[in-house]
Amino acid sequence: MKDDERDLYFVEGIAVPQTPLPGEEPAAWGKTTVIGQRQPRVDAYERVSGTAVYPSDVVLPNMLYGALLRCPHAHARVKKVDISAAERMEGVHAILTGASLAGKVKWPYSEEVVTDLFDAQCRFEGEAVAAVAATTPYVARDALRAIAVEYEVLPFVADERESLAPGAAQIHAGGNRFKAETYERGDVNKGFAEADVVLEEKYRTACEIQSPMELHGCVANWEGDSLTIWESTQGVYAVQAKTADILGLPLSKVRVIGHYMGGGFGAKLQPGKYTICAALLARKIGRPVKIFLSREEAMLAAGNRPPANMTIKAGVKKDGTLTALQFSGLGSGGAYPAGGTSLLDWLVRDLYVCPNVQSELTDVAINAGPARPFRAPGHPQCAWALEQMMDALAEAIGMDPVDLRLKNVPLVSQGREGSPPYTTTGLSACITEGAEAFGWREARRRTAAARKEKNHLKRGVGMGSCVWFVGGGRPPSTVIVKLFADGSVNLNMGASDIGTGTKTVMSMVLAEELGVRPETIQIEHADTGSTQYATPSGGSKTVPTESPAVRSAAIAVKQQLLKMAAGELGSPLENLRYTGEYIEATDSGKKVKITDLASLKKQGVVVGIGYRGPNPEGKVVNPFAAQFCEVEVNTRTGEVRILRFLGAHESGRVMDRLTFDNQVFGGITMGIGLGMTEKRILDANSTGKMVNRNLHDYKLPTALDVPEEMVSLPVDMPDSEANNTGAKGLGEPVTIPTAAAIANAIYDAVGVRVRQSPADPLTMNRLLAEQSPEERS
Amino acid sequence: MTVHFSYVRPASLQDAMGQLTGDNARIHAGGTDLLGCLRDEVFPVDKLVSISRLDKLRGIKKTTDGGLSIGALTTIAEVAVHPLIREKYTALAQGAAAVGSPQIRNQGTLGGNLCQKPRCWYYRGEFHCLRKGGDFCYAAEGENQYHCILGGDYCYIVHPSDTAPALQAFGATLRIAGPRGGRDVSVADFFVPPSRDVTRETVLEQEEIVTEILLPPAPAGLRSAYRKVRARQAWDFALAGVALALEQEGGRVQKSRVVLSGAAPIPWRAVEVEKIINDSTLGAEVIREAAAAAMAKAVPLSKNGYKIPLFQGMLEEELEKMRGA
Repeated sequence: MKDDERDLYFVEGIAVPQTPLPGEEPAAWGKTTVIGQRQPRVDAYERVSGTAVYPSDVVLPNMLYGALLRCPHAHARVKKVDISAAERMEGVHAILTGASLAGKVKWPYSEEVVTDLFDAQCRFEGEAVAAVAATTPYVARDALRAIAVEYEVLPFVADERESLAPGAAQIHAGGNRFKAETYERGDVNKGFAEADVVLEEKYRTACEIQSPMELHGCVANWEGDSLTIWESTQGVYAVQAKTADILGLPLSKVRVIGHYMGGGFGAKLQPGKYTICAALLARKIGRPVKIFLSREEAMLAAGNRPPANMTIKAGVKKDGTLTALQFSGLGSGGAYPAGGTSLLDWLVRDLYVCPNVQSELTDVAINAGPARPFRAPGHPQCAWALEQMMDALAEAIGMDPVDLRLKNVPLVSQGREGSPPYTTTGLSACITEGAEAFGWREARRRTAAARKEKNHLKRGVGMGSCVWFVGGGRPPSTVIVKLFADGSVNLNMGASDIGTGTKTVMSMVLAEELGVRPETIQIEHADTGSTQYATPSGGSKTVPTESPAVRSAAIAVKQQLLKMAAGELGSPLENLRYTGEYIEATDSGKKVKITDLASLKKQGVVVGIGYRGPNPEGKVVNPFAAQFCEVEVNTRTGEVRILRFLGAHESGRVMDRLTFDNQVFGGITMGIGLGMTEKRILDANSTGKMVNRNLHDYKLPTALDVPEEMVSLPVDMPDSEANNTGAKGLGEPVTIPTAAAIANAIYDAVGVRVRQSPADPLTMNRLLAEQSPEERS
Repeated sequence: MTVHFSYVRPASLQDAMGQLTGDNARIHAGGTDLLGCLRDEVFPVDKLVSISRLDKLRGIKKTTDGGLSIGALTTIAEVAVHPLIREKYTALAQGAAAVGSPQIRNQGTLGGNLCQKPRCWYYRGEFHCLRKGGDFCYAAEGENQYHCILGGDYCYIVHPSDTAPALQAFGATLRIAGPRGGRDVSVADFFVPPSRDVTRETVLEQEEIVTEILLPPAPAGLRSAYRKVRARQAWDFALAGVALALEQEGGRVQKSRVVLSGAAPIPWRAVEVEKIINDSTLGAEVIREAAAAAMAKAVPLSKNGYKIPLFQGMLEEELEKMRGA
């Protein structure tokens, strides 16, 4: 190899941050070279070309295919399961039923509610009744059809608003109420008395299905008493823990691998019953078993965003001071406790300055598939109510919606005990800079003037803002970075990359700190057998949790290299500078190439370990946002067209501008689904079954439902108090205010409040029909 | 599930018809509808007869009388972009362009679009409904937000085709091959409402195959349009739709055909609208009256009352666009 090709892993002339002396904390990054740039995904080629192996691609020698028999009724008791015909079918290797498991395998729906894996009482359509493994997926499905189940069909309740009514079907022995929570600060009655305007309104958001592109599933294989699972998951260690617990295995005997995965919005934070079934079938037969759900099964049983019924009462003074907020929410996470009202009141408690706040939440059971935390649990629903109410208040006191929000920006987290301050808040900046970039004031004048024109195509603009409950990340995380003798680098971390660009961002951190090129870094991750412990990717925490640990590990590598150089150059540590390709002595002027360090050559590798440090005490780390949109409403047909969207997001430091923008676009797209197209529909009158369990009838937004003009406006505010990279999370705030902003724009256009999501032509025609002909034209 | 039917690809129309014997033999053209039906077990199948080798059924050509012949296997995408169709039979090109998604338009055929099964989620789902031989229609008292407001009778499906209303508005005819000879059936007579037979959607007999769609010559002064309102902008069927074919002279409507989609179990000719707009200049009052008349006989179900203002508003908008054309 020629000499000038030797150090191909280092970027020449890159400014690398100062290395702290051992025991010292690193200083916050100043001007960055790699971080903040537009770095394409380091694994883009693999993903696009198809060489990336997702769990659904995994095929092992001798592998069998499993499938779950699911209850076709909303509520039923299994009386008898006859597998005699299925057992005799050619290609069928094993069948598991409630009888065959004899109550020995339990499934924890929550900490309090633990049932048999195949519980005789099926409380929702799609509940697992039996599982088979066969030579092909087709034989497995045929075997399911050959199983004869005798059900006693029970009365059901499909609508959470009827769950607590007298005479409603009882889903659990203790009744249908799972949880009632209350919160209070100040005195809302006093607050309402002080207000110049008090408004009260009811809102509802429909249940949404999570719908990741890759379906839920896994491959399970036993080697002796050791189980390996390839799972499409947001967190391999979370799958390991729950699986080991259910099967009574030591953690060391359960290895979970999830390198690539095709999307997860919360429903893949834990294993499914399919995981346990695959493991049990594989053990019984002694061959690997693969189970992936069908789209219909996933829609019924693999997780949703609970429907939310919200009443909000708000008081405001003429100058825009909020005096009181009162909120009540009723929701249902389905047939088992699954956070049916989780965080549903958080924005009311925390987003705007308000001394008097009261809320009550009621989580009830219905006969429907269990919810799972879905991208910012509770928040988009609460925004739908609160952000529409803010606009209504602004109108009532003759104030611009932007000004009303700016008037009430908090610097402390009022929703938390003791009102601790946020480390940083970009809420004001998001609203101000977003409005400026969107051309808010001009657009408002334009739409107001156009409303007087006789035209059935009405334009309107709307906005919404948000805080996200967490998003600061937290310990623990352990990361190992290895620098090999040739200067190339290996990153070992347990975290998943759920499509958000985790691997890319972490490569950029290493590149920034070590001066190496991101694309030359080898990454091992998301494998409990060979990578370090990490918590699952949820809560917008992966970047703020993992990136500081990655930076610390890189610094540990540099410190060891500097120590080697100290001996070889004969200078004390404090006089040495790591510059990427070289280590230089400021006293003697001597320098040594990293790859020429004799100790490195001899040792072969330098191993740096990084840990995620604690979050700042007594402070709260949250991301903030404001989104703006323009719509056109056809008052004759109720069609709403979204013309443009702008998302102004403050998530601390912008790590990768490209993944940042794509998160914003993705979040807005998902929010358009909540606002415009998505709703689970249960056949409430006769069967309780879900009627729109496919991708045609369950309407995820398509490319044509998303505006061509989408702008991401990052509010770049490195948060040096939060952690050593200054990053906060972004994955969830991006979808919080979207639907509310659309609803506000619709109001601006045509003067109707869309209280129930989605704002499709069904809803819009009903609302517009209530208007007088003068209002419509 | 494992395949439990045979699959044949006959090389001639005669062979294809010969293969279609028995109640459970089905034609496979583009397959965009058929495959979904097979997967959802909407009907039993023991034999699939692919007609993909019948190349004579493809293509668009002028007829001697100045009209147009479209082979039944012509794809929806080909219909949507054909210059002559876009110019002379605009509503058909627009209807084709409004079908499904690009993938579906590339694969689906015009004949198949006319012969597709209804999209009712009870009919397609795990419900033994009236149309499948069960005892009642689940939609009547159930989740009927996408169901019909006109022509429902024990069954409340809407006809899913976006091309049929346009073809009917142009007075198109279907050429049908059968083992006992061929026949021509007008599009208007091709569809069977549930009041006549709740278990079928068309007059097509088991061994018959639609081979050709014949459009009469486009008269001078003809202007047409297809408008579709849907819950999302692609891959969705009509909540409300209309095909308009108006012959005008000096700003006055001489003759008109107005056919609704998303309204009824069959493409629904709105004769009431035609009567009002004929011999008018499409003044504001006429348009309002016509749009109201279209819905005069509508009987909404519990959850689809929104369709009435929707159809009225859509008709007003589309008739205005026709004014003075």
